Amino acid sequence: MSRAAVRQLVWLGLAGTGIFIALMVALSWAATITGGGTTAGRAFDLDTKSITIFLDDEPPQLDSRRTSDTISGMVLGHIMEGLLRYDARNQVVPGVAERWEIRPTGATFWLRNTARWSDGKPVTAHDFVFAWRTVVDPATASDYAFILYYVKNGEAINSSKMPPDQLGVRAISDSVLEVDFERPAAFFDKLVTFPTYFPIRQDFQASRGVRYAADAQDLLFNGPFVMTRWAHGANIRLEKNQEYWNRDAIRLNAIDIPYITSDTPTLVNLFKDGSLVWARLGPEQFEEAMKLRWNVARYGDGSIWYVDFNFRPERPTRNLNLRRALQLVTDPNEIVNRVIAIPGYKPLNSLFPAWLPGLNGLFRQEYPPPAITLSIDEARKHLEMAKKELGVDQIPPLVLLSDDTILANKEAEYFQSLYKRTLNLDIRIDKQIFKQRIAKHNAGDFDMVLAGWGPDYADPLTFGDLYASFNGNNRSLYNNPAYDAQVRIAQNSTDQSARMDAFAEMQRIMIEDAVHLPTHERGRVFVQAPQLKGVVHRAIGTEPDFTDAYLVEAP
Amino acid sequence: MSTPAHLTPADFAPAVMERHVHAISRPSLSYWQDAVRRLRANWRAMTSLGVVIGLCIFAVAGPWIWQVDPAAQDVDQISQGPSLPATALIVEPGTAWAGVTKEPTASGDVVANLRLAEPATTQTVRLTWEPVVGATGYVVYRSIYDPAPDRALGLPLGDSLGANRVSYEDRLDLKPQRYWYSVVVLDANGAEQQAYETFSVDVVRAASIEEAQARGWTTQDAALTVGTQLTLPFHPLGTDYLGRDMLARLIYGARVSLFIGVVAPILFVLIGIVYGSIAGFVGGRLDQVLMRFAEFVIALPFLLFMILFKIAFGIGPGESGVIPMLVALVILDWPPTARLVRGQILQIRQEGYVSASQLLGAKTGYLVFRHMIPNTLGVILVTLTFAVPSAIFTEAFLSFIGMGVAPPTPSWGSMANDGIRTMLSHPHELIFPAVLISIAVLAFNLLGDGLRDALDVRMRGRE
Repeated sequence: MSRAAVRQLVWLGLAGTGIFIALMVALSWAATITGGGTTAGRAFDLDTKSITIFLDDEPPQLDSRRTSDTISGMVLGHIMEGLLRYDARNQVVPGVAERWEIRPTGATFWLRNTARWSDGKPVTAHDFVFAWRTVVDPATASDYAFILYYVKNGEAINSSKMPPDQLGVRAISDSVLEVDFERPAAFFDKLVTFPTYFPIRQDFQASRGVRYAADAQDLLFNGPFVMTRWAHGANIRLEKNQEYWNRDAIRLNAIDIPYITSDTPTLVNLFKDGSLVWARLGPEQFEEAMKLRWNVARYGDGSIWYVDFNFRPERPTRNLNLRRALQLVTDPNEIVNRVIAIPGYKPLNSLFPAWLPGLNGLFRQEYPPPAITLSIDEARKHLEMAKKELGVDQIPPLVLLSDDTILANKEAEYFQSLYKRTLNLDIRIDKQIFKQRIAKHNAGDFDMVLAGWGPDYADPLTFGDLYASFNGNNRSLYNNPAYDAQVRIAQNSTDQSARMDAFAEMQRIMIEDAVHLPTHERGRVFVQAPQLKGVVHRAIGTEPDFTDAYLVEAP
Repeated sequence: MSTPAHLTPADFAPAVMERHVHAISRPSLSYWQDAVRRLRANWRAMTSLGVVIGLCIFAVAGPWIWQVDPAAQDVDQISQGPSLPATALIVEPGTAWAGVTKEPTASGDVVANLRLAEPATTQTVRLTWEPVVGATGYVVYRSIYDPAPDRALGLPLGDSLGANRVSYEDRLDLKPQRYWYSVVVLDANGAEQQAYETFSVDVVRAASIEEAQARGWTTQDAALTVGTQLTLPFHPLGTDYLGRDMLARLIYGARVSLFIGVVAPILFVLIGIVYGSIAGFVGGRLDQVLMRFAEFVIALPFLLFMILFKIAFGIGPGESGVIPMLVALVILDWPPTARLVRGQILQIRQEGYVSASQLLGAKTGYLVFRHMIPNTLGVILVTLTFAVPSAIFTEAFLSFIGMGVAPPTPSWGSMANDGIRTMLSHPHELIFPAVLISIAVLAFNLLGDGLRDALDVRMRGRE
């Protein structure tokens, strides 16, 4: 190259770098003016008592009557309050109701007269009656209407057999709410902490119409915080509710949510930059976390994860011997310890997770699930029987539907290789984003699916009724009258030991019939700024819960 | 005045015919011989040619030399960097461990005598310690660094609830390295104590005979005894996030990449030649129509058509998208070649030798095959060599975004996509496919560059 050419190259390079830098500066300046004044960049502020957190996703539905996901549940848990709530130690404590009484046939709640909506008007028993009636109204089409079936006539109203005003709930006065039960519900105090049971004020809802809960100004709050900004898909800001009855106990003034992502490398980088007060870790960040000497913590989020089979008539997975063959080569221990490799995850070999309470202690300790002896030889025998019964020489390729996340991809490819190696089965992986995975799961467009289920209340029934033929969430369309009978016993009996026996029987049927292949209970690993205290992570209810959180000086 | 030259009669004798006035001092070189000579003098192009041939051998002969299944998962060697063969200690088959329970006698806020209950292997690390009065449980942490002095305990593995339950079994992703285990006492309120007991363990890689056989590390009849060392499958370039051999995956990935990279350009260049020659040779209104259509095809968005073809072909989820990719490339990428060939043909048609040939009665076929095609061959060859890297890159890009091969089939692009997640902790999973993509693209480009220089008629006879 000649000297002139070199000089020209150097000039071009310098000019290019200069333009690039100018562009970056201009873009970041543009971002600050279009960012709507987001106070991003500070993980926490001791003076203003505010923190910055993230959400996994945009809350899909903040109308408490219709919501069905944990992200909306987390936001609603901060801005709304039901009759009762969970405290930091997961005990049911008074919320809007200051005392309550649960009888075999019904319940009475006495509301505190200091409970206020964020516009200053009192929260009354009528607000609960209105909300509950609209939940079970078939016109509302709430996914969670079934959780109100414990209230008298709930199921009949939801299936259009009665008008909504026949629901067994009455406002005796502004401050006394009386509920009649359809069937005994000893855990009704836990049910009313659930978002579907939250109050909604009729006149406010009417003033907003279909726009109710569509934006921050289309919501009325009665919880510890109010939502002051909701830029969809971008950021959310919660501020302390000055009308909240227990406002003196709330020590945070603001919760900023400028990041909506579940990508752990991003979260960890933001945490490192001091832009987030806490961050979840993925297995790729463990080494870094140990190197940076962070205090890593862990919790179980209560959910169970499993391979769900399709029981629709045209699907090969309807064949018991095929499912048995797959069951006999699937080792939850290897999946958790080698493939997932995240502490906090636990191998699962039952429909019921290990944390569920039983009669006196933990259900799984009182009723251990029948053991499965893994055996490739046995599995191959069952596979041969399955081929004979299905009348095929080779099982057609099975479609394994999975989420398009790092972990789900890993698991799906592990299953693909496992079943190819042990049973010579071809598995086709159908990766979909969460929404689409749920849609395909609901539509039955799969042979197998990597699915999960989170608990709604701390009773084995929250998992047990999942495979009842009459449950709308039974997306595999498993239909077994013997199983349904056990679910009915668990739903209708007040005898705890009879109920637990029924759950044990469900657990046995699930394994005998290889209805699904449980793999793991999910755990979460996270880091948190040491200045932040009092955050609660739990299996059931608002998670994470910042209601009692507070900031301290660095230790 | 100048004096007249002195002329002699000999000057007026007839000249003797000299036969060698126009003798050619060097051997005659045809166009192609000259091109090859110039190509061989271009060291960059020759190196690239060597690399291209090497890649082809790598892809074609690789599986015979390196007979490892690219989809086989070795869950005992996950995300391992390039290394020498590892060995594992043969141990007794693992049995379930009930754990240790012991009633507490000593009180305090930290456990004593944290120790191994059994030798630590990659199968399992079983810890036990002395119980503490008043504890409600114990939390076990594990780190790859010493927790002292700032209480950096590492990952919380799990807990053991109850004062008397003084054991923990760790099986989580154990690697043959040193770990620091720490145990923290939970007080009556379930809160973790500040004090901790720590202890370091060197874990050794181990397997039972049954596992070794099930994983195919040894044959059924090979005599193995507990306590001996067994050599594990060798992964010279390491393994990926599911313990699959990187070298085998790179070889099979090269097959996909080179298949698309070579077959697609050959096909679309052929289409382009035929299309361009017709347009250029016939000319007139047909030329106009054909060229406007070619421009229309250029305007079609590639990615959209790739997706449409995938749907039109009925490619379901989890099935390979390589064939639709090939079709999309062939259907959408021929117009540039067609334009180039048309231009060349138009130019050559005006040349004197073509007119001469026509006057001498040459037929169309003769003109095309004798004069037109050979004279455009150089341009075509250059187009082809430049189309190959762009097709390789397209394949890599489409597989990267998940539109290409279906798992478990590897391709360089999909391997790069898998590797990017663990870029910081296990960079080899990204670097190897990325380097191969870069080398392949660069080699084909430099080769194309060299070919263009070599085949340029104006450069003829020059170095």
